[in-house]
Formats: sequence, structure tokens, C-alpha cells
Amino acid sequence: MLLVKFISQKQTQKKLQKHYIYLPFTDLKKEMDASKELIRTADLLLEISSLLMVSGANTNRVNLSINRFASALNYSTSCFISHKSIIITVYKDNTHLSCTQVKNIPPYAINFEIISAVSKASWTAIEERWTLEQIAKEIENIKKQNRYPKLVVLLAVSMAGAGFCNIFNGDYINMGVAFVSTFIGLLIFQLTHKEKYNVYLRIFAASLVASILASLGIVFNLGTNPETALATSILFLVPGVALINSFTDLLDNNIINGMVRFTTGLMTVLAIALGLFIAMALFQFN
Amino acid sequence: MEVAAWSGIAALGFGILFNIPKGVIPTVFILGFTAGLIKFGLMHFNIHIVLATFIAVFFVGIICMPIAHKIHHPPVVFCIPPTIPMIPGYFAYETVLSVMNFIFKEANPSERSVLIDAIFTNGFTMFFILISITAGISLPMLLLRKDSVKKLED
Repeated sequence: MLLVKFISQKQTQKKLQKHYIYLPFTDLKKEMDASKELIRTADLLLEISSLLMVSGANTNRVNLSINRFASALNYSTSCFISHKSIIITVYKDNTHLSCTQVKNIPPYAINFEIISAVSKASWTAIEERWTLEQIAKEIENIKKQNRYPKLVVLLAVSMAGAGFCNIFNGDYINMGVAFVSTFIGLLIFQLTHKEKYNVYLRIFAASLVASILASLGIVFNLGTNPETALATSILFLVPGVALINSFTDLLDNNIINGMVRFTTGLMTVLAIALGLFIAMALFQFN
Repeated sequence: MEVAAWSGIAALGFGILFNIPKGVIPTVFILGFTAGLIKFGLMHFNIHIVLATFIAVFFVGIICMPIAHKIHHPPVVFCIPPTIPMIPGYFAYETVLSVMNFIFKEANPSERSVLIDAIFTNGFTMFFILISITAGISLPMLLLRKDSVKKLED
């Protein structure tokens, strides 16, 4: 029995070998190169869209930028963008080649400069017909850019906090209290970023510290309206971008992403309110 | 007037937090100042806060189209920071605070009904301010039916 099987295997092998020898070698290599390029394109497009999502772009902007880059490279794409992962399919219209890749999105850090730079790069890529390598190099350059120095950010946001206090009718001493509370709250928020705590825990801690400091203003009765300092000292944490982007997504019919962003915003607001509530309970006034 | 200046500064502060490009900084300040001026001016004449917010943001949205052409940055970058001083988040925070007071503190029925009123007022005000901000920013684009500012010929 075994000998018969062996002989028939040998015969099929010979048949296969015959076919293999007649296959033109160059076509196979071309197809392998095309699919390698397809995979590299898909990876690059995934990286760009992940970069845009992390920087705080709404879903429509990500779709538009990806479409522009893909059309500069003569591919078509379809993508599914969710909060934590992106699935993209890249295909060329006249062939049967297509490639689907998935990527996980790293934690969010809002950065409008990246959004602007990627948008400009996408327009230039279309106008000047960039290749894959040129696009990859430009994206590397964009990722290397630095943010503003930490002290500038701290001072600017603290001034914003003081500005909020003024909007709610505080006088200059209240604005000073709001300034100090915002400064130290944001400092704690930034310092815990490196230790990789859960983001909602960090927001809760920053809100707690900021509101305790502002409550000290009430205890020592600084200024005419010390309550406004308490109410505005935590406003620097409020997720304005997440909430605004959620409604923009809902308007564009990306209901999943809209609801996801809205829930993220709501969780952040919950953490802020919890911090404030515990601080107020500590000092026992309403 | 001074309130508008501080809203400009608040818009600028948040712009820096979001890391806007350096050339956009004066534009964001001016837009924040203008939006604050319009909104608080309208509220001074007793117009409802949601409507005042919508008008101010709509104005920002209309202005940002020619500005986007001049500065060569996408409109997102300098439309969101000036709208942050409109603070939809303040009402969200008030809502959640009222919810917590309602659950954990008050047992007195009349106080509870005051709190329920506060919850609903603040919650829905936040909701509608958010809608008005988004509608105000997106409406100029939607009305002209274009996908991108760059394709505008006017």
C-alpha cells in the first residue's frame, strides 16, 4: 500500500514541477514587489491616520487626509476608524491586489501643529506627486517636532484659568488664586504622565489638588468672590476638544466615534467633578 | 470689554496647551477676543446664552474661511481654541456636581427638587451650547457644500 502511495506522490510531483518550470519568472517577482509595496503603503497610511487620531482630529479629517495621500500614490482606500484601533484596506482599482491591516492607536495627546502639518503635507503630496519614500520622510519630520516648553504651557494655561475667573466676575485676587491652583494642578497632571497612571486617576488627582488650593482661598476669605476661584480653578481640565469633536463626528454621521468621544468627555467630567466634590466635602461647605 | 480681553487670553492659553503652530497665535487671540466681545455684548442685552454663543461662534466660523486661505492652516487649528472660553464644560461640571449633591447629601424634599431643577437646567444648557458651538463652526462649510477650505474659489 505504502509503495503505491509513494509512486503516485512522485508522479504528481513531476507534474507540478513541469508546470512550475513553465511559469514565467518575471511575472511572479513583479507581483511579489507590488504586494510588498502595497503592504508598505498600508502601513504608512495606518501610521498617518493613527498620528492624526492621537493629535485630536475628527474622523472626517482623518478620512480626507488618508484619501488624499492614497490618491497621490494611485491607490484607493477604505477604512474603519474607532477609538482604539484603525482597520484599513488598500487596493488598486484595476488589479485584484488588496491589503488589509489593523493598528492600535496609542494614548491621546492633543497637538494641533501635527494636524496642520499633516494636512499641508497631504496637499503637497497631491500637487507634487510624491512617492512612498518622500511621504514617509515627511511624516518622520513631522513626528520629530517639539511641543512648547513646559513652563510656557504652565504659564499660559494658568493665565487662561485666571481669565475664566474674570469671566465669572472674580476680582484680581480671585484670579491670582485661580492662577496658582491651575498652575499646580496642571503641574501634577503633567508629572504623573510619565508614571503612566490611568488618565482618569490623573485627572481626579489634578482636580483634587487644584480645588483644595482654591478652597484655601475661601477659608482665608481672599478677594470679593472666593467661590468663583473654586469653580474656575478646575476648568483647565475640561475636555472641550473631545466634546466638540464628538458633535462634529455625529454631524458627519460617524455615530460610533461621536458617541465614543462623548463618553470619554463625560468620564473626564465625572473625574473632575469627583475631585471637586471630595475637596468640598473635606472643607465641608456647599 | 475687559472680559473679552480675558477670553482672548483664555483662548490663547488653551491654544498653547493644544500646541498650535507659532504663526497662528495672534490670530487665535484676536478671534478669542472678538468672540468674547460678541457673546458677552449680546448677553448684556439679555439675549439667551445659547443664542449668543451660536451667533458668536457662527461669526468665528464665517471669518475663519478667508483667514484659512491667508494663513495656510486648516480651520480646525484656529477655530477650536477661541470657542473654549464659551465653556460648555462648566455646565457639564455643574450638572455632575448637582447629581452628586442630589445622591449623597440632600434628604430634604424641597432641596431635592431645587437640585433636580439645577441638574436639568445645567445639563441641557451644556448640551445646547455644545450643539450651538458645533453648528456655528460647521455651518459655513456645510452651507457652501465644500469638503475643504482650499477648494474655495471665493
